[in-house]
Amino acid sequence: MTQAIRINNLKYNYDDNDTVFDDFNLEIDAGQWLALVGHNGSGKSTLAKLILGLIEANNGTITVFGEQLRIDTVHHVREQIGMVFQNPDNQFVGATVADDVAFGLENKEMPSSDMPKVIDEALTIVGMQDFKYREPHMLSGGQKQRVALASVLALQPKIIILDEATAMLDPDGRATVMATLQNLKQRFGSELTLITITHDMNEAMLADRVVVINDGQLILDGSPSEVFSQCDVMHHNGLELPFVGELAVRLDPKPDGYLDERELIKWLSDLKK
Amino acid sequence: MAIRFEKVNFSYGAGTTLAQSILHDVTLEMPTGRVTAVVGQTGSGKSTLIQHINGLLKPTSGRVTVDNFELTSHTKEKELVKLRKSVGIAFQFPENQLFANTVLEDVMYAPVNFGATKSEAKLAAERALTRTGVMRGLWGKSPFELSGGQMRRVAMAGTLSSDPSVVVMDEPAAGLDPKGQGELLQLVLELKKLGKTIIIISHQMDHVVAVADHVIVMHEGRVVAQESPQILFNRDITWFKTMKLDLPKAGQLAEKLRDEGIILSKRPLTLNELADLINAEVSHE
Ligand SMILES: Nc1ncnc2c1ncn2[C@@H]1O[C@H](COP(=O)(O)OP(=O)(O)OP(=O)(O)O)[C@@H](O)[C@H]1O
Ligand SMILES: Nc1ncnc2c1ncn2[C@@H]1O[C@H](COP(=O)(O)OP(=O)(O)O)[C@@H](O)[C@H]1O
Ligand SMILES: [Mg+2]
Ligand SMILES: [Mg+2]
Repeated sequence: MTQAIRINNLKYNYDDNDTVFDDFNLEIDAGQWLALVGHNGSGKSTLAKLILGLIEANNGTITVFGEQLRIDTVHHVREQIGMVFQNPDNQFVGATVADDVAFGLENKEMPSSDMPKVIDEALTIVGMQDFKYREPHMLSGGQKQRVALASVLALQPKIIILDEATAMLDPDGRATVMATLQNLKQRFGSELTLITITHDMNEAMLADRVVVINDGQLILDGSPSEVFSQCDVMHHNGLELPFVGELAVRLDPKPDGYLDERELIKWLSDLKK
Repeated sequence: MAIRFEKVNFSYGAGTTLAQSILHDVTLEMPTGRVTAVVGQTGSGKSTLIQHINGLLKPTSGRVTVDNFELTSHTKEKELVKLRKSVGIAFQFPENQLFANTVLEDVMYAPVNFGATKSEAKLAAERALTRTGVMRGLWGKSPFELSGGQMRRVAMAGTLSSDPSVVVMDEPAAGLDPKGQGELLQLVLELKKLGKTIIIISHQMDHVVAVADHVIVMHEGRVVAQESPQILFNRDITWFKTMKLDLPKAGQLAEKLRDEGIILSKRPLTLNELADLINAEVSHE
Protein backbone atom coordinates (compact mmCIF):
# COMPACT_ATOMS: atom_id res chain seq x y z
CA MET A 1 0.00 0.00 0.00
CA THR A 2 1.25 3.52 -0.72
CA GLN A 3 2.10 5.67 2.19
CA ALA A 4 0.64 9.14 2.29
CA ILE A 5 2.72 10.32 5.21
CA ARG A 6 5.68 8.84 7.03
CA ILE A 7 7.18 10.49 10.07
CA ASN A 8 10.47 9.16 11.41
CA ASN A 9 12.33 10.06 14.59
CA LEU A 10 10.70 13.44 14.69
CA LYS A 11 12.06 15.87 17.23
CA TYR A 12 10.62 19.32 17.72
CA ASN A 13 10.55 22.12 20.25
CA TYR A 14 9.48 25.74 19.89
CA ASP A 15 12.38 28.16 20.53
CA ASP A 16 12.18 28.69 24.23
CA ASN A 17 10.42 25.59 25.11
CA ASP A 18 10.03 22.14 26.42
CA THR A 19 10.17 19.45 23.83
CA VAL A 20 6.90 18.90 21.99
CA PHE A 21 8.05 15.81 20.08
CA ASP A 22 10.97 13.56 20.83
CA ASP A 23 11.59 10.60 18.57
CA PHE A 24 8.03 10.48 17.29
CA ASN A 25 7.06 8.00 14.56
CA LEU A 26 3.85 7.67 12.57
CA GLU A 27 2.93 6.17 9.23
CA ILE A 28 -0.32 6.90 7.49
CA ASP A 29 -1.46 4.85 4.52
CA ALA A 30 -2.95 6.55 1.51
CA GLY A 31 -6.73 6.52 1.76
CA GLN A 32 -6.78 6.21 5.51
CA TRP A 33 -8.95 8.36 7.73
CA LEU A 34 -7.01 9.03 10.88
CA ALA A 35 -8.42 10.80 13.91
CA LEU A 36 -5.77 12.48 16.02
CA VAL A 37 -6.75 13.07 19.62
CA GLY A 38 -4.98 14.24 22.76
CA HIS A 39 -5.34 16.75 25.57
CA ASN A 40 -4.85 20.51 25.10
CA GLY A 41 -1.23 21.25 24.38
CA SER A 42 -0.34 17.66 23.49
CA GLY A 43 1.06 18.68 20.11
CA LYS A 44 -1.70 17.98 17.58
CA SER A 45 -1.65 21.34 15.81
CA THR A 46 2.14 21.36 15.96
CA LEU A 47 2.20 18.04 14.15
CA ALA A 48 -0.12 19.42 11.47
CA LYS A 49 2.13 22.47 11.01
CA LEU A 50 5.18 20.24 10.73
CA ILE A 51 3.55 18.10 8.04
CA LEU A 52 2.66 21.25 6.11
CA GLY A 53 6.20 22.51 6.44
CA LEU A 54 5.07 25.68 8.18
CA ILE A 55 7.58 24.93 10.89
CA GLU A 56 10.72 22.88 10.57
CA ALA A 57 11.60 19.75 12.56
CA ASN A 58 14.76 19.90 14.68
CA ASN A 59 15.46 16.36 13.74
CA GLY A 60 13.99 13.41 11.87
CA THR A 61 12.17 13.22 8.56
CA ILE A 62 8.69 13.76 7.22
CA THR A 63 7.87 12.13 3.92
CA VAL A 64 4.73 12.85 1.93
CA PHE A 65 3.94 10.45 -0.91
CA GLY A 66 7.55 9.38 -1.03
CA GLU A 67 8.88 12.91 -1.14
CA GLN A 68 10.91 14.05 1.81
CA LEU A 69 10.00 17.43 3.20
CA ARG A 70 12.85 19.92 2.62
CA ILE A 71 13.21 23.54 1.65
CA ASP A 72 13.22 22.65 -2.04
CA THR A 73 10.24 20.28 -1.81
CA VAL A 74 8.05 22.09 0.67
CA HIS A 75 6.10 23.88 -2.04
CA HIS A 76 5.25 20.76 -3.91
CA VAL A 77 4.38 18.86 -0.74
CA ARG A 78 2.12 21.64 0.45
CA GLU A 79 0.20 21.65 -2.82
CA GLN A 80 -1.06 18.19 -2.07
CA ILE A 81 -2.39 19.06 1.37
CA GLY A 82 -5.48 21.04 2.27
CA MET A 83 -5.60 22.30 5.81
CA VAL A 84 -8.36 23.91 7.84
CA PHE A 85 -6.83 25.68 10.82
CA GLN A 86 -8.17 25.76 14.32
CA ASN A 87 -9.03 29.45 14.01
CA PRO A 88 -10.61 30.12 10.61
CA ASP A 89 -10.01 33.87 11.04
CA ASN A 90 -6.34 33.30 10.28
CA GLN A 91 -7.20 31.79 6.99
CA PHE A 92 -9.27 34.28 5.04
CA VAL A 93 -7.72 36.19 2.18
CA GLY A 94 -10.61 37.09 -0.12
CA ALA A 95 -12.90 40.13 0.07
CA THR A 96 -15.93 37.91 -0.41
CA VAL A 97 -16.64 34.31 0.43
CA ALA A 98 -16.48 33.37 -3.27
CA ASP A 99 -13.15 35.20 -3.71
CA ASP A 100 -11.79 33.34 -0.80
CA VAL A 101 -12.56 29.97 -2.34
CA ALA A 102 -11.28 31.25 -5.70
CA PHE A 103 -7.95 32.27 -4.23
CA GLY A 104 -6.71 28.72 -3.81
CA LEU A 105 -7.96 27.79 -7.27
CA GLU A 106 -6.05 30.69 -8.82
CA ASN A 107 -2.90 29.47 -7.11
CA LYS A 108 -3.55 26.11 -8.66
CA GLU A 109 -3.89 27.88 -12.01
CA MET A 110 -7.37 26.64 -12.69
CA PRO A 111 -8.87 28.31 -15.82
CA SER A 112 -11.17 31.07 -14.59
CA SER A 113 -14.03 29.73 -16.72
CA ASP A 114 -14.08 26.56 -14.60
CA MET A 115 -14.05 28.36 -11.32
CA PRO A 116 -17.67 29.44 -10.76
CA LYS A 117 -18.89 25.86 -10.95
CA VAL A 118 -16.23 24.53 -8.62
CA ILE A 119 -16.85 27.35 -6.17
CA ASP A 120 -20.60 26.79 -6.20
CA GLU A 121 -20.17 23.08 -5.64
CA ALA A 122 -17.84 23.54 -2.71
CA LEU A 123 -20.06 26.15 -1.07
CA THR A 124 -23.13 23.99 -1.59
CA ILE A 125 -21.49 21.03 0.12
CA VAL A 126 -21.02 23.11 3.27
CA GLY A 127 -24.36 24.90 2.94
CA MET A 128 -22.92 28.38 2.37
CA GLN A 129 -24.03 29.04 -1.21
CA ASP A 130 -26.27 31.91 -0.10
CA PHE A 131 -23.30 33.71 1.46
CA LYS A 132 -21.20 33.86 -1.71
CA TYR A 133 -20.92 37.62 -1.82
CA ARG A 134 -20.61 38.23 1.90
CA GLU A 135 -17.45 39.37 3.62
CA PRO A 136 -15.76 36.48 5.43
CA HIS A 137 -14.96 38.64 8.45
CA MET A 138 -18.61 39.39 9.00
CA LEU A 139 -19.73 35.82 9.29
CA SER A 140 -20.60 34.02 12.49
CA GLY A 141 -17.99 31.61 13.89
CA GLY A 142 -19.59 28.46 12.55
CA GLN A 143 -20.13 30.07 9.13
CA LYS A 144 -16.43 30.92 8.98
CA GLN A 145 -15.53 27.33 9.68
CA ARG A 146 -17.74 26.18 6.83
CA VAL A 147 -16.17 28.60 4.35
CA ALA A 148 -12.68 27.52 5.37
CA LEU A 149 -13.69 23.94 4.71
CA ALA A 150 -15.20 24.82 1.31
CA SER A 151 -11.94 26.49 0.26
CA VAL A 152 -10.10 23.28 0.99
CA LEU A 153 -12.66 20.99 -0.63
CA ALA A 154 -12.61 23.03 -3.84
CA LEU A 155 -8.93 22.22 -4.28
CA GLN A 156 -9.49 18.47 -4.08
CA PRO A 157 -6.18 17.86 -2.34
CA LYS A 158 -4.86 14.34 -1.79
CA ILE A 159 -4.54 14.92 1.92
CA ILE A 160 -6.98 16.94 4.02
CA ILE A 161 -6.12 17.95 7.57
CA LEU A 162 -8.92 19.39 9.66
CA ASP A 163 -7.81 20.92 12.96
CA GLU A 164 -10.95 21.04 15.11
CA ALA A 165 -12.81 22.23 12.06
CA THR A 166 -16.24 21.55 13.51
CA ALA A 167 -15.71 22.92 17.00
CA MET A 168 -18.04 25.87 16.42
CA LEU A 169 -20.62 24.28 14.20
CA ASP A 170 -24.14 23.65 15.37
CA PRO A 171 -25.18 19.97 15.57
CA ASP A 172 -26.72 20.14 12.14
CA GLY A 173 -23.61 21.67 10.61
CA ARG A 174 -21.42 19.13 12.33
CA ALA A 175 -23.50 16.25 11.04
CA THR A 176 -23.35 17.75 7.52
CA VAL A 177 -19.58 18.07 7.60
CA MET A 178 -19.17 14.54 8.91
CA ALA A 179 -21.52 13.18 6.25
CA THR A 180 -19.55 15.17 3.65
CA LEU A 181 -16.30 13.63 4.80
CA GLN A 182 -17.80 10.17 4.67
CA ASN A 183 -19.05 10.83 1.13
CA LEU A 184 -15.69 12.17 0.01
CA LYS A 185 -13.97 9.13 1.46
CA GLN A 186 -16.32 6.89 -0.44
CA ARG A 187 -15.97 8.84 -3.65
CA PHE A 188 -12.20 9.11 -3.64
CA GLY A 189 -11.24 5.93 -1.78
CA SER A 190 -7.48 5.57 -1.61
CA GLU A 191 -7.07 8.92 -3.42
CA LEU A 192 -8.01 10.86 -0.33
CA THR A 193 -6.22 10.70 3.00
CA LEU A 194 -7.94 12.40 5.87
CA ILE A 195 -6.59 13.55 9.20
CA THR A 196 -9.11 14.98 11.62
CA ILE A 197 -7.96 16.54 14.87
CA THR A 198 -10.79 16.56 17.35
CA HIS A 199 -11.85 16.48 21.00
CA ASP A 200 -15.18 14.96 20.04
CA MET A 201 -14.83 11.22 20.40
CA ASN A 202 -18.11 10.66 18.60
CA GLU A 203 -16.40 12.18 15.59
CA ALA A 204 -13.19 10.24 16.12
CA MET A 205 -15.28 7.08 16.02
CA LEU A 206 -16.02 7.63 12.32
CA ALA A 207 -12.34 7.33 11.38
CA ASP A 208 -10.56 4.14 10.29
CA ARG A 209 -7.89 4.68 12.87
CA VAL A 210 -7.54 6.65 16.08
CA VAL A 211 -4.18 7.88 17.34
CA VAL A 212 -3.90 9.29 20.84
CA ILE A 213 -0.89 11.43 21.69
CA ASN A 214 0.37 12.78 24.98
CA ASP A 215 3.59 14.62 25.75
CA GLY A 216 4.80 14.02 22.23
CA GLN A 217 4.35 10.29 22.55
CA LEU A 218 1.94 8.05 20.76
CA ILE A 219 0.09 6.32 23.56
CA LEU A 220 -2.73 4.51 21.74
CA ASP A 221 -3.06 3.58 18.10
CA GLY A 222 -5.64 1.34 16.51
CA SER A 223 -9.15 1.02 15.17
CA PRO A 224 -11.76 3.06 17.06
CA SER A 225 -13.02 -0.04 18.83
CA GLU A 226 -9.50 -1.04 19.87
CA VAL A 227 -8.65 2.40 21.19
CA PHE A 228 -11.99 2.94 22.90
CA SER A 229 -11.67 -0.40 24.69
CA GLN A 230 -8.88 1.24 26.68
CA CYS A 231 -11.26 3.09 28.94
CA ASP A 232 -8.78 3.63 31.77
CA VAL A 233 -5.98 4.91 29.55
CA MET A 234 -8.36 7.37 27.90
CA HIS A 235 -9.71 8.68 31.20
CA HIS A 236 -6.26 8.86 32.68
CA ASN A 237 -5.21 11.14 29.82
CA GLY A 238 -8.05 13.58 30.29
CA LEU A 239 -10.01 12.09 27.41
CA GLU A 240 -13.26 10.26 27.29
CA LEU A 241 -14.97 7.53 25.32
CA PRO A 242 -17.66 8.20 22.76
CA PHE A 243 -21.04 8.63 24.46
CA VAL A 244 -22.10 5.00 23.98
CA GLY A 245 -18.78 3.86 25.46
CA GLU A 246 -19.35 5.96 28.56
CA LEU A 247 -22.86 4.52 28.73
CA ALA A 248 -21.70 0.90 28.41
CA VAL A 249 -19.37 1.31 31.39
CA ARG A 250 -22.41 2.25 33.48
CA LEU A 251 -24.66 -0.60 32.38
CA ASP A 252 -25.49 -3.65 34.43
CA PRO A 253 -24.92 -6.16 32.88
CA LYS A 254 -22.13 -4.70 30.73
CA PRO A 255 -21.19 -5.77 27.23
CA ASP A 256 -17.72 -7.31 26.71
CA GLY A 257 -15.39 -4.88 24.98
CA TYR A 258 -16.28 -1.72 23.13
CA LEU A 259 -19.45 -1.59 21.04
CA ASP A 260 -20.37 1.23 18.70
CA GLU A 261 -23.83 2.74 18.82
CA ARG A 262 -25.49 0.30 16.46
CA GLU A 263 -23.87 -2.68 18.13
CA LEU A 264 -24.84 -1.47 21.59
CA ILE A 265 -28.45 -0.95 20.58
CA LYS A 266 -28.53 -4.43 19.10
CA TRP A 267 -26.91 -5.90 22.20
CA LEU A 268 -29.55 -4.25 24.35
CA SER A 269 -32.46 -5.41 22.25
CA ASP A 270 -31.13 -8.99 22.26
CA LEU A 271 -30.80 -8.78 26.02
CA LYS A 272 -34.42 -7.79 26.31
CA LYS A 273 -35.63 -10.75 24.28
CA MET B 1 -27.86 41.90 38.10
CA ALA B 2 -31.14 41.57 36.28
CA ILE B 3 -30.70 41.61 32.53
CA ARG B 4 -33.68 42.46 30.39
CA PHE B 5 -34.13 42.93 26.64
CA GLU B 6 -37.23 44.78 25.53
CA LYS B 7 -38.25 44.72 21.88
CA VAL B 8 -34.64 44.81 20.78
CA ASN B 9 -33.97 45.04 17.07
CA PHE B 10 -30.47 45.13 15.73
CA SER B 11 -28.91 45.60 12.29
CA TYR B 12 -25.22 45.53 11.41
CA GLY B 13 -24.53 48.64 9.35
CA ALA B 14 -27.79 50.26 10.45
CA GLY B 15 -28.61 53.32 8.36
CA THR B 16 -26.40 52.26 5.45
CA THR B 17 -27.45 50.50 2.26
CA LEU B 18 -25.71 47.39 3.53
CA ALA B 19 -27.87 47.14 6.64
CA GLN B 20 -28.36 43.53 7.71
CA SER B 21 -31.18 43.05 10.09
CA ILE B 22 -30.15 40.37 12.60
CA LEU B 23 -32.22 40.56 15.81
CA HIS B 24 -35.98 40.91 15.59
CA ASP B 25 -38.13 42.06 18.51
CA VAL B 26 -36.08 40.28 21.10
CA THR B 27 -37.70 40.41 24.52
CA LEU B 28 -36.16 38.29 27.22
CA GLU B 29 -34.91 38.05 30.76
CA MET B 30 -31.74 36.55 32.17
CA PRO B 31 -32.31 35.97 35.89
CA THR B 32 -29.89 37.36 38.48
CA GLY B 33 -27.56 34.87 40.13
CA ARG B 34 -28.54 32.15 37.70
CA VAL B 35 -26.99 30.41 34.73
CA THR B 36 -28.73 31.22 31.46
CA ALA B 37 -27.80 29.22 28.37
CA VAL B 38 -28.27 30.71 24.91
CA VAL B 39 -28.60 28.09 22.18
CA GLY B 40 -29.52 28.01 18.50
CA GLN B 41 -28.14 27.40 15.05
CA THR B 42 -24.96 28.92 13.70
CA GLY B 43 -25.85 32.42 12.55
CA SER B 44 -29.03 32.62 14.62
CA GLY B 45 -27.75 35.75 16.38
CA LYS B 46 -26.37 34.44 19.67
CA SER B 47 -23.05 36.31 19.58
CA THR B 48 -24.81 39.44 18.36
CA LEU B 49 -27.29 39.16 21.21
CA ILE B 50 -24.76 38.82 24.01
CA GLN B 51 -22.64 41.73 22.78
CA HIS B 52 -25.55 43.95 23.79
CA ILE B 53 -25.06 43.02 27.43
CA ASN B 54 -21.95 45.18 27.80
CA GLY B 55 -22.80 47.69 25.12
CA LEU B 56 -20.30 46.52 22.51
CA LEU B 57 -23.32 46.62 20.25
CA LYS B 58 -26.26 48.92 20.86
CA PRO B 59 -29.84 48.12 19.92
CA THR B 60 -30.98 49.75 16.69
CA SER B 61 -34.29 50.06 18.48
CA GLY B 62 -35.60 48.82 21.81
CA ARG B 63 -33.81 48.71 25.12
CA VAL B 64 -31.50 46.55 27.18
CA THR B 65 -31.33 46.99 30.94
CA VAL B 66 -28.62 45.60 33.17
CA ASP B 67 -29.64 46.33 36.74
CA ASN B 68 -30.41 50.05 36.59
CA PHE B 69 -28.27 50.75 33.53
CA GLU B 70 -30.26 51.39 30.40
CA LEU B 71 -28.80 50.82 26.94
CA THR B 72 -30.48 52.21 23.83
CA SER B 73 -29.37 53.46 20.44
CA HIS B 74 -28.68 56.84 22.11
CA THR B 75 -26.33 55.62 24.83
CA LYS B 76 -22.97 57.41 24.66
CA GLU B 77 -19.70 55.52 24.65
CA LYS B 78 -18.41 57.15 27.84
CA GLU B 79 -21.49 56.14 29.81
CA LEU B 80 -20.55 52.54 29.11
CA VAL B 81 -17.53 52.38 31.42
CA LYS B 82 -19.59 51.34 34.41
CA LEU B 83 -21.35 48.65 32.41
CA ARG B 84 -18.08 47.26 31.07
CA LYS B 85 -16.80 46.90 34.59
CA SER B 86 -19.71 44.78 35.74
CA VAL B 87 -20.05 42.66 32.61
CA GLY B 88 -17.14 40.44 31.51
CA ILE B 89 -17.33 38.68 28.15
CA ALA B 90 -15.19 35.72 27.07
CA PHE B 91 -15.44 35.90 23.29
CA GLN B 92 -15.99 33.16 20.76
CA PHE B 93 -12.50 33.52 19.31
CA PRO B 94 -10.09 33.85 22.22
CA GLU B 95 -7.15 34.88 20.03
CA ASN B 96 -8.96 38.08 19.15
CA GLN B 97 -9.12 38.93 22.82
CA LEU B 98 -5.43 38.40 23.65
CA PHE B 99 -2.84 41.10 23.10
CA ALA B 100 -0.19 41.51 25.82
CA ASN B 101 3.40 40.26 25.83
CA THR B 102 2.89 37.59 28.40
CA VAL B 103 -0.01 35.52 29.61
CA LEU B 104 0.20 37.06 33.08
CA GLU B 105 0.21 40.65 31.78
CA ASP B 106 -2.70 39.84 29.53
CA VAL B 107 -4.82 38.62 32.41
CA MET B 108 -3.72 41.56 34.61
CA TYR B 109 -4.95 44.05 32.05
CA ALA B 110 -8.61 44.20 33.06
CA PRO B 111 -8.12 44.73 36.81
CA VAL B 112 -5.45 47.42 36.13
CA ASN B 113 -7.76 49.07 33.65
CA PHE B 114 -10.53 49.20 36.25
CA GLY B 115 -8.28 50.80 38.85
CA ALA B 116 -6.56 47.99 40.75
CA THR B 117 -2.93 48.46 41.79
CA LYS B 118 -0.32 46.37 40.04
CA SER B 119 0.11 44.00 42.93
CA GLU B 120 -3.65 43.58 43.38
CA ALA B 121 -3.96 42.91 39.68
CA LYS B 122 -1.19 40.36 39.80
CA LEU B 123 -2.87 38.52 42.62
CA ALA B 124 -6.21 38.59 40.81
CA ALA B 125 -4.60 37.37 37.60
CA GLU B 126 -2.83 34.51 39.33
CA ARG B 127 -6.02 33.46 41.00
CA ALA B 128 -7.93 33.56 37.69
CA LEU B 129 -5.25 31.60 35.82
CA THR B 130 -5.25 28.92 38.49
CA ARG B 131 -9.00 28.78 38.42
CA THR B 132 -9.10 28.23 34.65
CA GLY B 133 -6.39 25.57 34.72
CA VAL B 134 -3.50 27.43 33.07
CA MET B 135 -0.29 25.82 34.27
CA ARG B 136 2.21 28.13 35.95
CA GLY B 137 4.83 27.22 33.34
CA LEU B 138 2.80 29.09 30.72
CA TRP B 139 2.35 32.38 32.60
CA GLY B 140 5.49 33.97 31.19
CA LYS B 141 4.84 32.90 27.60
CA SER B 142 3.39 35.03 24.86
CA PRO B 143 -0.36 34.37 24.66
CA PHE B 144 0.08 33.84 20.93
CA GLU B 145 2.42 30.94 21.47
CA LEU B 146 -0.16 28.73 23.06
CA SER B 147 -2.25 25.86 21.84
CA GLY B 148 -5.88 26.58 21.01
CA GLY B 149 -7.19 25.14 24.25
CA GLN B 150 -4.58 26.99 26.32
CA MET B 151 -5.57 30.31 24.67
CA ARG B 152 -9.19 29.61 25.49
CA ARG B 153 -8.30 29.19 29.18
CA VAL B 154 -6.16 32.34 29.26
CA ALA B 155 -8.90 34.40 27.63
CA MET B 156 -11.37 33.08 30.19
CA ALA B 157 -8.99 34.05 33.00
CA GLY B 158 -8.75 37.54 31.47
CA THR B 159 -12.51 37.84 31.72
CA LEU B 160 -12.66 36.66 35.33
CA SER B 161 -9.68 38.58 36.72
CA SER B 162 -11.59 41.85 37.15
CA ASP B 163 -14.29 40.00 39.09
CA PRO B 164 -17.30 41.12 37.02
CA SER B 165 -20.72 40.38 38.46
CA VAL B 166 -22.05 39.24 35.09
CA VAL B 167 -19.95 36.67 33.22
CA VAL B 168 -20.77 36.00 29.58
CA MET B 169 -19.11 33.08 27.80
CA ASP B 170 -19.43 32.65 24.02
CA GLU B 171 -18.93 28.97 23.15
CA PRO B 172 -16.35 28.56 25.92
CA ALA B 173 -16.05 24.79 25.51
CA ALA B 174 -14.96 24.92 21.87
CA GLY B 175 -11.35 23.76 21.72
CA LEU B 176 -11.21 22.39 25.26
CA ASP B 177 -10.32 18.74 25.76
CA PRO B 178 -12.89 16.55 27.53
CA LYS B 179 -11.27 17.08 30.93
CA GLY B 180 -11.14 20.83 30.34
CA GLN B 181 -14.82 20.81 29.41
CA GLY B 182 -15.64 19.12 32.71
CA GLU B 183 -13.59 21.72 34.55
CA LEU B 184 -15.34 24.52 32.71
CA LEU B 185 -18.72 23.25 33.88
CA GLN B 186 -17.41 23.11 37.44
CA LEU B 187 -16.16 26.67 37.07
CA VAL B 188 -19.58 27.84 35.94
CA LEU B 189 -21.19 26.28 39.00
CA GLU B 190 -18.53 27.79 41.27
CA LEU B 191 -19.14 31.24 39.81
CA LYS B 192 -22.83 30.80 40.37
CA LYS B 193 -22.16 29.95 44.02
CA LEU B 194 -20.27 33.23 44.27
CA GLY B 195 -23.51 34.93 43.28
CA LYS B 196 -22.60 35.83 39.73
CA THR B 197 -25.04 35.99 36.85
CA ILE B 198 -23.78 33.76 34.08
CA ILE B 199 -24.68 33.62 30.40
CA ILE B 200 -23.25 30.77 28.38
CA ILE B 201 -23.62 30.15 24.65
CA SER B 202 -23.30 26.50 23.72
CA HIS B 203 -24.04 23.94 21.04
CA GLN B 204 -23.64 21.14 23.53
CA MET B 205 -26.96 20.34 25.08
CA ASP B 206 -25.27 18.07 27.61
CA HIS B 207 -23.50 21.13 28.96
CA VAL B 208 -26.76 23.06 29.03
CA VAL B 209 -28.41 20.34 31.09
CA ALA B 210 -25.41 20.19 33.42
CA VAL B 211 -25.33 23.87 34.39
CA ALA B 212 -28.25 25.94 33.10
CA ASP B 213 -31.22 27.11 35.15
CA HIS B 214 -32.76 28.86 32.19
CA VAL B 215 -32.43 28.41 28.43
CA ILE B 216 -33.03 30.90 25.63
CA VAL B 217 -33.42 29.41 22.16
CA MET B 218 -32.64 31.67 19.22
CA HIS B 219 -33.82 30.95 15.71
CA GLU B 220 -33.19 33.31 12.80
CA GLY B 221 -32.77 36.29 15.09
CA ARG B 222 -35.84 35.63 17.21
CA VAL B 223 -36.34 34.13 20.63
CA VAL B 224 -38.40 30.99 20.12
CA ALA B 225 -38.26 29.60 23.65
CA GLN B 226 -37.18 30.71 27.11
CA GLU B 227 -37.72 28.19 29.86
CA SER B 228 -36.00 25.70 32.16
CA PRO B 229 -33.96 22.90 30.56
CA GLN B 230 -36.37 20.33 32.03
CA ILE B 231 -39.31 21.90 30.23
CA LEU B 232 -37.40 22.63 27.06
CA PHE B 233 -35.92 19.17 26.60
CA ASN B 234 -39.26 17.50 27.14
CA ARG B 235 -40.79 19.28 24.18
CA ASP B 236 -41.99 17.24 21.26
CA ILE B 237 -39.20 15.78 19.14
CA THR B 238 -40.49 17.41 15.95
CA TRP B 239 -39.91 20.86 17.47
CA PHE B 240 -36.21 20.09 17.83
CA LYS B 241 -36.03 19.08 14.18
CA THR B 242 -37.62 22.36 13.05
CA MET B 243 -35.26 24.40 15.21
CA LYS B 244 -32.32 22.23 14.17
CA LEU B 245 -31.61 21.74 17.83
CA ASP B 246 -30.27 18.59 19.45
CA LEU B 247 -31.57 16.77 22.45
CA PRO B 248 -28.90 15.99 25.03
CA LYS B 249 -27.05 12.83 23.93
CA ALA B 250 -28.93 10.69 26.45
CA GLY B 251 -32.23 11.83 24.97
CA GLN B 252 -31.00 11.19 21.44
CA LEU B 253 -30.02 7.65 22.28
CA ALA B 254 -33.34 7.07 24.02
CA GLU B 255 -35.09 8.03 20.77
CA LYS B 256 -33.01 5.49 18.86
CA LEU B 257 -33.78 2.82 21.46
CA ARG B 258 -37.45 3.59 21.07
CA ASP B 259 -37.17 2.86 17.35
CA GLU B 260 -35.87 -0.59 18.32
CA GLY B 261 -38.73 -1.20 20.70
CA ILE B 262 -36.92 -0.35 23.92
CA ILE B 263 -39.18 2.24 25.50
CA LEU B 264 -37.94 4.02 28.59
CA SER B 265 -40.36 5.36 31.17
CA LYS B 266 -39.27 8.96 30.58
CA ARG B 267 -36.87 10.97 28.45
CA PRO B 268 -33.41 10.91 30.09
CA LEU B 269 -31.39 14.11 30.00
CA THR B 270 -28.10 12.88 31.42
CA LEU B 271 -25.83 9.88 30.96
CA ASN B 272 -26.47 8.57 34.47
CA GLU B 273 -30.21 8.96 34.11
CA LEU B 274 -30.08 7.02 30.84
CA ALA B 275 -27.99 4.24 32.37
CA ASP B 276 -30.39 3.94 35.33
CA LEU B 277 -33.43 3.81 33.05
CA ILE B 278 -31.88 1.16 30.84
CA ASN B 279 -30.77 -0.91 33.80
CA ALA B 280 -34.27 -0.76 35.24
CA GLU B 281 -35.82 -1.65 31.92
CA VAL B 282 -33.53 -4.60 31.25
CA SER B 283 -33.76 -6.13 34.71
CA HIS B 284 -37.56 -5.97 34.58
CA GLU B 285 -37.69 -8.62 31.94
N1 LIG C 1 3.88 29.34 18.24
C1 LIG C 1 4.25 28.70 19.37
N2 LIG C 1 5.37 29.10 20.04
C2 LIG C 1 5.76 28.46 21.18
N3 LIG C 1 5.10 27.44 21.74
C3 LIG C 1 3.99 27.00 21.12
C4 LIG C 1 3.49 27.60 19.91
N4 LIG C 1 2.36 26.95 19.53
C5 LIG C 1 2.15 25.99 20.45
N5 LIG C 1 3.12 25.99 21.41
C6 LIG C 1 3.23 25.05 22.55
O1 LIG C 1 3.45 23.74 22.06
C7 LIG C 1 2.66 22.78 22.75
C8 LIG C 1 1.78 22.02 21.75
O2 LIG C 1 0.84 22.93 21.18
P1 LIG C 1 -0.20 22.49 20.06
O3 LIG C 1 -0.82 23.75 19.55
O4 LIG C 1 0.43 21.61 19.08
O5 LIG C 1 -1.25 21.66 20.94
P2 LIG C 1 -2.62 20.98 20.52
O6 LIG C 1 -2.49 19.51 20.78
O7 LIG C 1 -3.03 21.39 19.16
O8 LIG C 1 -3.59 21.58 21.64
P3 LIG C 1 -5.12 22.08 21.56
O9 LIG C 1 -5.98 20.87 21.76
O10 LIG C 1 -5.24 22.98 22.74
O11 LIG C 1 -5.34 22.78 20.26
C9 LIG C 1 1.88 23.56 23.81
O12 LIG C 1 2.53 23.40 25.06
C10 LIG C 1 1.94 25.01 23.36
O13 LIG C 1 1.99 25.89 24.45
N1 LIG D 1 -19.74 42.19 12.01
C1 LIG D 1 -20.77 41.73 11.28
N2 LIG D 1 -21.23 42.42 10.21
C2 LIG D 1 -22.27 41.97 9.48
N3 LIG D 1 -22.96 40.83 9.73
C3 LIG D 1 -22.57 40.08 10.78
C4 LIG D 1 -21.46 40.49 11.61
N4 LIG D 1 -21.28 39.56 12.57
C5 LIG D 1 -22.24 38.62 12.36
N5 LIG D 1 -23.01 38.92 11.29
C6 LIG D 1 -24.15 38.14 10.76
O1 LIG D 1 -25.16 38.14 11.75
C7 LIG D 1 -25.80 36.87 11.85
C8 LIG D 1 -25.73 36.40 13.28
O2 LIG D 1 -24.36 36.20 13.63
P1 LIG D 1 -23.91 35.77 15.06
O3 LIG D 1 -24.59 36.61 16.08
O4 LIG D 1 -22.41 35.76 15.07
O5 LIG D 1 -24.49 34.28 15.13
P2 LIG D 1 -24.23 33.07 16.14
O6 LIG D 1 -23.38 33.58 17.24
O7 LIG D 1 -25.61 32.67 16.58
O8 LIG D 1 -23.61 31.99 15.33
C9 LIG D 1 -25.09 35.95 10.83
O9 LIG D 1 -25.89 35.84 9.69
C10 LIG D 1 -23.80 36.68 10.52
O10 LIG D 1 -23.39 36.42 9.20
MG1 LIG E 1 -4.52 22.67 18.43
MG1 LIG F 1 -21.37 33.06 17.64
